[in-house]
Amino acid sequence: MSAAAGQLSDLGQARVQPACAGAHQSRWSHLLYVAPYLFLYVTLLVYPLFAGFWLSLHKADLFGGRRFVGLENFSRLLQDQVFLGAVGNTFYFILLTVPALAIIGLGLALALNRQTRTAAILRGVFFSSSVLSVTIVTLLWKVVFAPEGGFLANVLEAFGRQPVAFLNDADLALPAIAITTIWWCIGLPMMLFLAALQQVPRELYEAAALDNAGRWKTLWSVTLPSIRRTFALVLIIEVVLQFQLFGQAYLMTQGGPNNASRPMVLFLFEVGFTRWDVGYAVAAGQILFAFIAMAAFAQYLIARRKEAF
Amino acid sequence: MSAQFASGTVGRGFGDRLILGATIALAIVMIMPMLWAVGLSLKTNQALLIDTNSVLRAPWTLTNYYDILIGSGVFRWLLNSIIVSFGMSLGVLVLASLAGYGFARLDFPGRNVIFVLVLFGLAIPEQAVILVRHQLFSDLDLHNTYAGLMLPGMSAPFGVFLMTQYFKAIPTEIDEAAMLDNASRFKIFWRVLLPMTLPAQATLGIFTFLHAWNDYWWPMVSGTNPQMYTLTVGIASTQQNFAESAGLGYLMAQAVFAFVPVLIVYMFFQKYIVRAVSGAAT
Amino acid sequence: MPGIELKNLIKTFGAATVIDNVSLSIRPHEFMVFLGPSGCGKSTLLRMIAGLESVDAGEIWIGDRRVDQLAPGERRVAMVFQHYALYPHMTVRENMSFGLRNVRMPTAEIDKRVAAAARMLEIEHLLERKPGQISGGQRQRVAIGRAIVKEPHLFLFDEPLSNLDAALRVRTRIEIAQLHQRVEAAMIFVTHDQVEAMTLAHRIVVMNNRKIEQIGTPMEIYSRPATAFVAGFVGTPAMNFAPVELTDGPNGFVSARLPDGVTIPTRIEQASLPGSKAFKLGIRAESLRICGAEQGDTAGVAQFVERLGDRTLVYVRLSDGTTVVAEDAGTSRVALNDSVGVKFDGACAHLFDDQDRGHHAVADVGS
Repeated sequence: MSAAAGQLSDLGQARVQPACAGAHQSRWSHLLYVAPYLFLYVTLLVYPLFAGFWLSLHKADLFGGRRFVGLENFSRLLQDQVFLGAVGNTFYFILLTVPALAIIGLGLALALNRQTRTAAILRGVFFSSSVLSVTIVTLLWKVVFAPEGGFLANVLEAFGRQPVAFLNDADLALPAIAITTIWWCIGLPMMLFLAALQQVPRELYEAAALDNAGRWKTLWSVTLPSIRRTFALVLIIEVVLQFQLFGQAYLMTQGGPNNASRPMVLFLFEVGFTRWDVGYAVAAGQILFAFIAMAAFAQYLIARRKEAF
Repeated sequence: MSAQFASGTVGRGFGDRLILGATIALAIVMIMPMLWAVGLSLKTNQALLIDTNSVLRAPWTLTNYYDILIGSGVFRWLLNSIIVSFGMSLGVLVLASLAGYGFARLDFPGRNVIFVLVLFGLAIPEQAVILVRHQLFSDLDLHNTYAGLMLPGMSAPFGVFLMTQYFKAIPTEIDEAAMLDNASRFKIFWRVLLPMTLPAQATLGIFTFLHAWNDYWWPMVSGTNPQMYTLTVGIASTQQNFAESAGLGYLMAQAVFAFVPVLIVYMFFQKYIVRAVSGAAT
Repeated sequence: MPGIELKNLIKTFGAATVIDNVSLSIRPHEFMVFLGPSGCGKSTLLRMIAGLESVDAGEIWIGDRRVDQLAPGERRVAMVFQHYALYPHMTVRENMSFGLRNVRMPTAEIDKRVAAAARMLEIEHLLERKPGQISGGQRQRVAIGRAIVKEPHLFLFDEPLSNLDAALRVRTRIEIAQLHQRVEAAMIFVTHDQVEAMTLAHRIVVMNNRKIEQIGTPMEIYSRPATAFVAGFVGTPAMNFAPVELTDGPNGFVSARLPDGVTIPTRIEQASLPGSKAFKLGIRAESLRICGAEQGDTAGVAQFVERLGDRTLVYVRLSDGTTVVAEDAGTSRVALNDSVGVKFDGACAHLFDDQDRGHHAVADVGS
């Protein structure tokens, strides 16, 4: 035995530890690994959430004045035409964007699910907008929608039509924001569908081919049934995301004209950060949270169902 | 070709070419707004006031970019964005790695309950907490500081969730081999397991970076001093005086200046970025 | 090199006992195999020796050092894991030297040991590669190399061959046997594969249901199984069992009457048996020979014929409905549904009492 090996056994004698498989033993000291995160989690997420519950029962303002009013904020919200309009706008916006995102995303995924260079480049193009910030996106689309010298205005004029002031038209403002949003967000559903299509076992297609199924038949009876779960998941993820519409509306229309494009989050922002009616804004936030928590729960249920088809 | 394509393995005729053509047309629509912005940025403000169709004709000019170089807040905003995004990413990686290892490998009183409570945090939207958080940061004097801009992003549970899953997927045989190799608990974490989580670190790092870079609401209400604007907030601030004081060409040059580097980074790291964003969603 | 002593080891998980009062002593330089079905506790026992599972009661001694309260790294044992457990981000060299660097061994000594082990295992050309860049068999060698460089007092192998394909498994098995020739340390090898156990072991510890069933050399295990479980678990095809009635035979030996009425004379002494009446006869296929339908001790119908090349296994259904496996030559012409005779070699028969304890012929048979 060499000297170094002797060293090894000396060490063994020197620090006799009581427990060998320490990881299996419950110890307070192990909490040190999670404590730094837990501290931030509690102070910046849990505490604000519960303080919000409490605050929503108060009439509170910027200057620290605070008076307990019970559920008055909530009953006020239910009679506030601007808030109800914002709720309606939010759901209308979801209706405009979510089905379109899912269907276009699926279509792109089906068209681009092949291993050619062209397909790879096109996938890259369709995802590229997703990495841009909302301020860039809105800036780009404002110069597309602008009535004077905007891209669409120029195109309309080239065809001899009058330019349209999309963002100043109560009927067109929210659809214009929806188009901007679809352009911005199309990458994610496409990628999720592509990932799902890759999971469909090759044997299924071979079996379908042996069964003489044509292209559409294969699409309807093999591909689409195989990605049902992903379709549901994409719908819910997008509902959660689009529910939180804020930047596009804030930067493109400020909720106008005539409140026609004001979503819930923008309402919350304006009440909270410009009117400083904090308790009222937090109450609106609770309602928003309730909606999103329900959608997140649905997402959890679907994600838990592991069977792919 | 990919066997997964719905048409099966044989025959790619007219139908395929039609689909490809339609997809390419859609892709052109997709990049049109960006091209339009680049075109506008290459014209003088005066030329654009007369007719924006002039972007299709010479002369083009780089004056707008020159104007940015000599007098614009853009560089300061860029620096802020870089500091905040790197800082937040680093913070998230450190916190999530430690916590993920703790939840996946160590036992402590209440571990499973605490982990479930952290998972509930995934369902809390920023809008539900932002007002109280804003007041909290006012009380702590954290507004208009880098820490104030970085800390909220570090409290999000996604990273902890991702790292916990990743650590759990590493066989415990590896830990045991290291124990027999006389490695201390921290050494097992630092020298053995952590290097094995590099793919997850990349995913989480990129995701956090993108989130921080593109975040708008919190930096807008927290970093209200123009010296503390991030690029996203700064670009937004210029839109208030859209096409008026600064001029359309100058404004577009700023936008191009802001999004082209992002797109270039995206081209190089596309694979990781796609995985990061998709991984965060599911 | 020291021997290893396990004294009254007990391990529980909650209410479940997973190791039930196990004692065992392993001689210096002995190759010991723990054999048993999955869930019998053999891996848990190995992990307790390694220090990866705590010991609830009992003691583990390596030489004159009691180790059961020491950390795994301090016991001077090395382990080769089922899935190799190589560190994927380290090169082969770093994998092998990690444990030595952790005890601050001088670099020169580390290099010397790694070089020597790499030469012995013929992996010198792989030292700068990472585990992901080498084949499964090569990874296995690296895992063994990582154990060798520690110069441990005891090698532990946890089903290390189960991930290899059949050809590589045989080769690695031989290499492990050769490795044992070259080192002085004792080895413990856990497996559920009886061929591995028979070919590698000095002694086999057969475990079942959290307890040791038998400790013995491979031939003792095979020829004189201590319990019905051992008799059934070791050997392919599994031993034939049939309930029998005992009668007095010649020379103080007993004879056994099978359900179909045939009486088999054995060489098991009447005096060695307990008083109870319920016995099972156990007899291996190689002690049942196929013969002409009229020439055997009994006869039946061939229900299934397995041709293995060097021999043929015939599943014979006897007149009372029991099926026994008998052996015939590789060139056997027995076909399905043929009537065949079966000749019993009663000298090789075993009896198992109502406690499932085995009783064997006086002289060592079959060796």
